[in-house]
This record gives sequence, structure tokens and C-alpha cells, in this order.
Amino acid sequence: MRRHQMPDMKEGNVNVTPLIDIVMCLIIFFMLVARIGVDTGADASIRIPSSVMGIDIKDLGNTVTLNISETAAHKDEPEVSLLHPKTGQKVTVGITDTAPSGELVRPLEDLLTAWRKNLGPECKVIIRADQDLNYRLLEPVLITCAKAKVKDVNFATRRGEAVVAQQ
Amino acid sequence: MKLEKSKKVHYDSGPNMTPMVDIVMVILIFFMLGASFVGVEHFLRTNLPAIGKGGEGPRDTGVVPDEPLEIIVDSPISGDRWLAKAGAISVADRTSLANQLRQLRTAMNSSGITDDRIQVVINPGKNVKYKYLVEVYQAALQAEFSKIAFSTAH
Repeated sequence: MRRHQMPDMKEGNVNVTPLIDIVMCLIIFFMLVARIGVDTGADASIRIPSSVMGIDIKDLGNTVTLNISETAAHKDEPEVSLLHPKTGQKVTVGITDTAPSGELVRPLEDLLTAWRKNLGPECKVIIRADQDLNYRLLEPVLITCAKAKVKDVNFATRRGEAVVAQQ
Repeated sequence: MKLEKSKKVHYDSGPNMTPMVDIVMVILIFFMLGASFVGVEHFLRTNLPAIGKGGEGPRDTGVVPDEPLEIIVDSPISGDRWLAKAGAISVADRTSLANQLRQLRTAMNSSGITDDRIQVVINPGKNVKYKYLVEVYQAALQAEFSKIAFSTAH
């Protein structure tokens, strides 16, 4: 029976075949690990607070990220930007708004309710808010999540040392 | 003049691998830099705020209600510090708050209230900054409470 073996070196060149094998394995590994070009909807300009007790979320599949920011127009309400994880639809809404008919509508609640139904029961919400945001602006978002019946709500935090309050 | 090299026979007639190795190495470095094994962010899982006082809607019959433990968090207008109060506890740093909450939990356990029945409710003032709420939340986690929620602002 004929056996396969490494070709003989005729001119003393370096055999690059094992090198290419290993490099190709590494490329495939890093391609699988890297999440290049995947938009989670997170606003990088928001300075999120740091924490030491946070946990990692392994499955970020059905996750809606809410970027909460203060607006000059509505001082009592935040502005929330979010991205649908499947369709890529990116919207910026307020907590309440007035419809052309003069009726008070709740765009964030309506949107979250619709997306929760669309994404299924595993739908998660990640809240990204500036570390100096007052609770009066965070509270309406939490209440809206509760009204939209989102069960899994998480606060995004940076890994690191906790804040030391000035005494 | 006799040229030695010109007469030499080339047995190794395979493809030239050098450009391929160059490109492959560039791709490898690109993916290595792009990959993030450990994300820079991690998350604090929370329950949602208790809307209204005394709970809303009818309670299930036969279900023992949770024992609430309210932590009131306040901050001055300048917003540069915070103070948390829970019963007799009144502290302004996370480590002390965690230690005292742990003692409180132990006391509640010894009076027959199990951990799964203790509902911690963080009740912040309207002007308390989010980063301080995260501190209080972490203190409750360090004290090994499992059910932590935010309430509407006082």
C-alpha cells in the first residue's frame, strides 16, 4: 500500500505547510470570536457608570439597547434611541408625545411592546445611561419597560473600580 | 565561462507561497485586533420599579407576600455625594452599606424570613445620579440579596 508522506526537500527551503495549517486555524478561530461590523445599537458617546459586581450576558441575540440621554426640548423626559436587533431599524423616541389629533401617545411603550412580541419571550433590554443622569430621567424608562412587560432588564456598566463619592 | 546556476534543475515547482503567507498573516493580525474575548462592559440585572404604593392588582391567594426592605437614597442638589438609609442604617459608602445590609439580612434570616422572601426596594430621590444608584445596587448585591428592584422616586 502506498503511504502518503511529506515531500522531500529538494533545495533546502523552509516547509511552510504546517505554518499555513496553523495560521488558517487561527484565522477561523478569530473570525468566529470577532464581532466586526455587528451593531448592537450602543451609543459609545454615553459615559456609563463602572461597577465591580456586573455579570456577562452570553446571549445578546434578542437584546434591545436603550440609550438614554437628556434633551433640551423635554427637560422632564429623556430621549431614548434604540435599534431593533433583527431588522436593524434605528429609532429615537420620547416617553410621551402628542399625536396630530391632540391625543397623548407613548411611543417608547408602544415600540417596546411591539418589539417584545416580535422578538419573543427571551427579549432582553439593556439600559445605557450617562453616569451623571438623574434618576428622574431614568425612572420613566424603567416604568415604560414595566408597562411594556419586558421581564429582563439590565444596566450596562463598565468593568472597573466603583465610584468614590466625595465626602 | 561556465555558469553553474543556469544548469541547476529545479525540482520544487509548486506555487510560490510567499504572497499568500503575507496576506494570511495580515488577515490574522486584523482578526486578532478585532476580536474581543472579554467585553469591556458587563451588566447588572434588575427588577423593574414597583409602580404605585402597596402593589397593584389582585394578589394570588395562598402566596405569602415578600418582606420589603426599603433603601432610601438621597443626594444634595450639587449631586456630588449620596446617603443611603435603611431602617437604622445611614451610610454614604458602598462597603459600609454592604456590611450593614449583610448584618440586616442575617437578622432577618434568624427571625424566620428566608432570602427568597426579602424584596429589596431602592427608593432614590429625583436628583440622585445614576452612578450612585449603581453603588447602592452593588452594595445590595454584595450583601447577597437576590431580589432587588427600584421604586418610583420619592
